[in-house]
Formats: sequence, C-alpha cells, structure tokens
Amino acid sequence: MAHEILAATNAVVTLDVALPGIVWPWLVTVNMWAKSIGTGVILMLFMLIRMHPDSVKNLRLPTAVVAFIFINIFLLFTLADLHQPFRMWHIFVYSSFSSAIAWGSLMATVFLGLLVILAFLAYKKNNETFDKVLVWTTILAIPVTLYTAALMAQCTARELWQMPTEAAQMILAATLSGSAAMILLGGSKLSDEAKNTLGVVLGLSALMAFIIYMSEYIFGPMKAEEVAAVLDYIKGDGPYAVMFWLGQWIAYLLPMLLILLSRASKSESILKLAAILALVGLAIVKHVWLMIPQLLPMS
Amino acid sequence: MQLGFLVDLHLCMGCKGCEIACKVENEVPLSTWRLRVKYVDVGTFPETKRTFTPLRCNHCENAPCERICPVSALHYLENGIVNIDKERCIGCAGCVMACPYGAIYIDPQTQTADKCTYCAHRVASSMMPACVVACPVQANIFGDLEDPTSNISKYIQVNQSNIQVRKPEKGTNPHHFYVNGGNVALNPLASHRIEGHSLFNKITTLPVGGHH
Repeated sequence: MAHEILAATNAVVTLDVALPGIVWPWLVTVNMWAKSIGTGVILMLFMLIRMHPDSVKNLRLPTAVVAFIFINIFLLFTLADLHQPFRMWHIFVYSSFSSAIAWGSLMATVFLGLLVILAFLAYKKNNETFDKVLVWTTILAIPVTLYTAALMAQCTARELWQMPTEAAQMILAATLSGSAAMILLGGSKLSDEAKNTLGVVLGLSALMAFIIYMSEYIFGPMKAEEVAAVLDYIKGDGPYAVMFWLGQWIAYLLPMLLILLSRASKSESILKLAAILALVGLAIVKHVWLMIPQLLPMS
Repeated sequence: MQLGFLVDLHLCMGCKGCEIACKVENEVPLSTWRLRVKYVDVGTFPETKRTFTPLRCNHCENAPCERICPVSALHYLENGIVNIDKERCIGCAGCVMACPYGAIYIDPQTQTADKCTYCAHRVASSMMPACVVACPVQANIFGDLEDPTSNISKYIQVNQSNIQVRKPEKGTNPHHFYVNGGNVALNPLASHRIEGHSLFNKITTLPVGGHH
C-alpha cells in the first residue's frame, strides 16, 4: 500500500539520523557456509555407510576431521562477529532458551564434542563404535544446521526470512555442500555407485533449493510489501541483483548441468567441477540472502 | 502497572528537545540515538507539509528483542519496561536484527546493545522520562496503561478512533502509541529515503558499533 501512494504524496525523508549499516556482515555468511559443510559431510557419511559401506572404509577419519575443521571455522566466525567475544561464556551461564542463538551454541558445542570422539574412534580404527556414535552425531547435525533458520525466523524485522523456507534451505545447503565436499574428499576412493549417489544428492539439492529461491523471487512480493521492497534489491541493476543470479548459476544451475554431463560421460573431473562450483556458489547465494533484508530502513 | 508512551503528532513541532534531553540524560554516544525525530516532507511545492515523528523503543508486550537475546540481557521489568543489562550483553546484535522499529543500536563505547529504557532509572525514582520533561508542548504523554485515571489512559479514551502503533502486523503489541499519525509518519516504506538526503548532513548510514 505504501509504495502505491508514494507518487501521490511525494513523501521524502528530509531530516533524520544516519541509520545503522549492515548489522550481520560477511562473517555471518562464512558462519552459515562452514556450518553447512561441517554438518553436511556427517549426513553424507551416514548415508554412504548404509548405502555403499565398501566405498567409505577409508573415509571415516578424513570426514570426521573435515567436519571438525569446518565446525570450528563456523564457531570462530561466530565468535569474531560478536562485539563482546570475551563474554561468549555468558551464553552457557545465562542461557535464555527462548533464543535460537542459545540453543544453537549449546547444540554446536555438543556436536563438536561428538566430532572429537568420532575422530578419535576413526584414528583407533574402531569402526563399530564409530558407527554407533555417528548415528547420534547425524541426528544432532540436523538441528545444528537448522538453528540458523530459527534464528533468522526470530528476526521479526526481516519479513523475507520465514522459518519453513529457511529451514528447507538450510537442510538443502547441508546436503548440497556435504555431497560436494564428499565428492572432493573421496575422489577416486569412491566407487562409481557412491559417486552416482552423491551426484544425485547434489543435483536434487541444487534443484530444490533453486525452486525455493525462484518461488520466493516470484511469489514473495505478492504476500507482503516489505518482502517486495527487499526483493527489489535483487531485481533490476543493483550489485546484489548481479550477485544473486551469479550465485544461482554457480551454486545450482551449472552443477545440475554438469552432473547430468558427468553421468553421461562417466567423468570424475566434471563431477568434481560441479562440486567445487556448488561450494563456491553456496557462499554467494547465502551472502545475498543475508544482506538484502538489512538494506531496508526499519524506521 | 504497565507503562506506556503516547505521542500526539499533531502537537509535535520537531524542536528535537526530547532528542537532546535523551542524549544528555543517558549519555548516548556520538553517532547513536535512543530517541530521534524524523522529518518527512509531503507534497510538491507550493502545496507542501512537513511531518515530525519522534521514534524510540516501543517497549513491546511481545518483544522480539527480548525473545532473541541469548543471555537475557534484554529483559522485562515489572512495570512493562524492556530494560537492558549492558554488563551481560555479548554484542551478538540479534536484537538489532530482530527489532522491527530499528530502535536498538550497538554502543560504540561499550560494544553492547543499547536502546531507550523509558528512563527506567528516573521512573524508579518517581520521575518522568527526560524527553517528557523537555517537551515544550506536552506532545509526549507517559503513564500507566492499566490505570484508567492516568493521563495516557484518558488520552487514549478520548482519541480512541485515532490511535495507532507502528507496524501492528508484526504482532509485537507495542506499548507506544501515536495520535494523529499518518502512513507517511509511521511507515518507513511510505516515504523516499534519498541517499545523502538530509538537511544538515550527507551521511545516510554508519557502521554498526563503530567496527566490522
């Protein structure tokens, strides 16, 4: 409604204070990206152990180490984004359980502990216990990857971020980046069947994530004027419009095409290229979606 | 007791006395504001009009900032004020992201979140908030919403067909009301915000908390 009357009222803000710029910067993008990889590889390892156990004989330790590294990157960037990083311990002492941040911090800490145990068990080659602990780690990986969606949903000010779509996007980001990371990690150690499975997961994740973004792009403005105003930043000629489409192509469209090509030609190189593009593109897509609601003046 | 605020925009003349009183009373650092008065010009010359809208924390009954704060730094007082404990705040800026009214900022000196507290320290001593005292036209009305004899309750009763809150669709139930406020005054999407537009400066945005 507000947009429609603008031409008639010609209302212009003529005196106001400077508004805050971007509140959650690129550090939060890295946070989400690294968390997707850290949880995604665990989801993929769980799947591969059940579907292609022979392929993953030597992948338990590298996967646990990669997950450990990326979850630490996620935590490090979370810490770096705090304006009072030395008070991080307050989260554990004064936890408010209405906050997704508190839940996320606690779950990520437990998840990290489980990853240490997994790495230790893999190093000791105790596969039986490893697989038992992996079940609990996989179950926990789901809420750990989802909590950021809950956090975004709690941002009442940012109408674009709705829990159902953000939750779906977070899980798809985990399966997309997890499968891509496993393709790169496994390399020639993976059987053709395992590579096919990971390729299918990557391709379907890309397809579904792309469909959700396009649905929001097209139908979002029909629901709320605030969403329409936010999506204007990726429509037209602005830098975020370029970045948005670049991300969609690199993260989703090109990997989908390359996976089809790799299945037809049975080329591992093409599959790896698709995996690399998916990982790079995901960071761009996440960044755009994080930034654009922050460009809108709230008052 | 549930304290609330009401601003009669028909009375407000944009003198910014409330803004300055707030700055002084609460020692609000440079480049940040707990309370500000926004000017919006409407129409085309010579048929123009200027509106003035004081903007501060709405002390919502269902406050998104209180809900998202992981350490309960933002918390309710018994009188309904949404207060902040700066010693507990970790500076995650979740509250800044959650507030639909842009009322919370990161204090560049303490690197913690801060906002209007309805001058909770003055209220505790039975004094009015600094902005209420400073207003030369009594456009700011403050009091107990649960007491039907309070000034604010009476004002709401008399003007009940003309009471508004900002962004009611967010479901935050603000304890901050406006009388005679139009869409242009209360909805940020109802006015253009041109880059470097201001009368006295060309600064449109500032870094949050002075870093990043």
